[in-house]
Amino acid sequence: MMGGDREAILQITSLRKSFGGVRAVDGVDLVLGCGELCCIIGPNGAGKSTLFQLLSGQILPTTGKIVFDGKDVTFAHPFERARSGIAVKVQSLGIFQDLTVDHNLRIPLMRRLSPREMPKAIDDLLRQVGLQGLNSVNARELSHGQKQWLALGMALAMRPKLLLLDEPTAGMSSEETRLTTEIIRASNAQGSAVVVIEHDMAFVRELRAPVIVLHLGRIFFRGTFSEVEENEEVRHLYLGTRNRFKSSDLPTR
Amino acid sequence: MLNWFSSVVRLINGEQEIGRSRGFWICAFAVAVGLIVLPRFVSAYALLNYSYIISMVFLALGLCLIWGFAGILSLGQAGYAYGVVGINLSQSGTTYLALIAGLMVPTLFAAVLSYVMFYARVKGVYVAIMMLVVTLLFETFLNQTAGPQWHIGVASLGGNNGLGRFSGAIHEPPSITLGLGSRLIEFSGQSVAFYYLEVGLLIAIYLCLRALVNSRFGLILAAIREDGARVESFGYDVRAIQLVVFCLGAALAALSGILYVSWGNFITPSVFGVTNNILPVIWVAVGGRKSLTATVISTVVLTWLSQRFAIQGEYAFVVMGALLVVVMMLRPEGLITSFGGRKTSASPPLSPGSSHDGR
Repeated sequence: MMGGDREAILQITSLRKSFGGVRAVDGVDLVLGCGELCCIIGPNGAGKSTLFQLLSGQILPTTGKIVFDGKDVTFAHPFERARSGIAVKVQSLGIFQDLTVDHNLRIPLMRRLSPREMPKAIDDLLRQVGLQGLNSVNARELSHGQKQWLALGMALAMRPKLLLLDEPTAGMSSEETRLTTEIIRASNAQGSAVVVIEHDMAFVRELRAPVIVLHLGRIFFRGTFSEVEENEEVRHLYLGTRNRFKSSDLPTR
Repeated sequence: MLNWFSSVVRLINGEQEIGRSRGFWICAFAVAVGLIVLPRFVSAYALLNYSYIISMVFLALGLCLIWGFAGILSLGQAGYAYGVVGINLSQSGTTYLALIAGLMVPTLFAAVLSYVMFYARVKGVYVAIMMLVVTLLFETFLNQTAGPQWHIGVASLGGNNGLGRFSGAIHEPPSITLGLGSRLIEFSGQSVAFYYLEVGLLIAIYLCLRALVNSRFGLILAAIREDGARVESFGYDVRAIQLVVFCLGAALAALSGILYVSWGNFITPSVFGVTNNILPVIWVAVGGRKSLTATVISTVVLTWLSQRFAIQGEYAFVVMGALLVVVMMLRPEGLITSFGGRKTSASPPLSPGSSHDGR
């Protein structure tokens, strides 16, 4: 399904991470093609966040291999991964609250643009994430949704080959979620491969991307959203554990 | 030319620093003029005190710069380095070599220490603890150097009496002496020339640091203080940036050390002690750790106050400690930055060496 005809941008081979005796990620294999979009879902404790941190370099795996864009980045430092084209949006926002919106965006932009090119690039990004005109506002004063979009804008500012998003719609209203979906789809259309880690099923449905279900650190199921919805075992997994997959989210046909 | 000038002005007057209004710059100019004419109106003794106060400002500025991701700074290394080299070489007249040693030794030491700390991912409060331990080690070591076997060249280390006249040594650390053509200019601690040297350095360094904090580099520093891990995720090698700033802070502390030694022509191991390490932290925290301007003002005011109180005995330290506690409780951003018109943030007070990513 994934990584089919297109050249692979990300190849994960039997990735494992143990914390003491707990195998948080327990042998994940995954291939993502250039410009592909995929969602990783799973109940709490499935290993989603650990997998995300292994990819961003916040933590290092016990065994296994991560190849990004032809390079082995398994043990690469986070800044080296960023330089090779991985952008992340962490769950805890990851914006600089004490700085203005403008300065927040300057930080990722400065590495590839001259001061002269900066103002236009900033305005373009702000338009892309729906924050136009808010240049000189302190990041702290933005609404929660706006902060999420700023964080997304900062990741997009890197023109990444791979965008890693950890719960990009956490705490958003459904209207905000819809706008976020558009932003992500647009940046995917511009050529970034995207991996989204998500809880919110409405959002996953909206993204219309291939879905990987993680359970107990392993890939439990992969398929399209409707395949995931129709799968009895996945439904049981969600309904049986924490009710994340509300019955209202299930197809009613 | 004009273009270049206006971009420098814009850099100095950027938004990472308080005091950007016309009114501020008029006041700043008035203060500068005041500093220049001051020697005409005060006694030689008062001027000696003011020279001491100004020499401490550089240490505080260094600490302000590294605040949030590195610990404390000590002027001691520079003091001893300058002193030892100066004693050995001052016969030649000028003190250039001692100045170079005084600046280089602490800076290189900081480079090695910060390489070990930052590249080993030591973070937060542990950095401050390590720094404090290192300076206390210096103090302990130097305190036991009273015997005649402890000497470097003709400089005897003098145990807890330190370098200079208190240990009964023949040679004391020289005053800064520069050559101008065939003439030698000695900046003796009591002289007006020394005072002007300091005022000149203060103005130049203050403006340079303002430009630095408003540059791209300064923006990255502000971001690292808030969330270093996040800055890393944008492709910056935060360790290297921290190392550079830490060395810069150490160089500023070194300048304080050199000025301090050449001002009094002596130095004792107490400069490595707890009190002398914590006082600068109080100066910076009380004024406002996020601002160079606040740091300069509060260092001058608090050092001056300490000297007033010192006449009454050791009460100065009690007052300083109490002041720190009260300010941290009521105005965690610092007194001057709180009232200085800058939008304050609701973030909790930072101890030196702690940072938001220091989880």
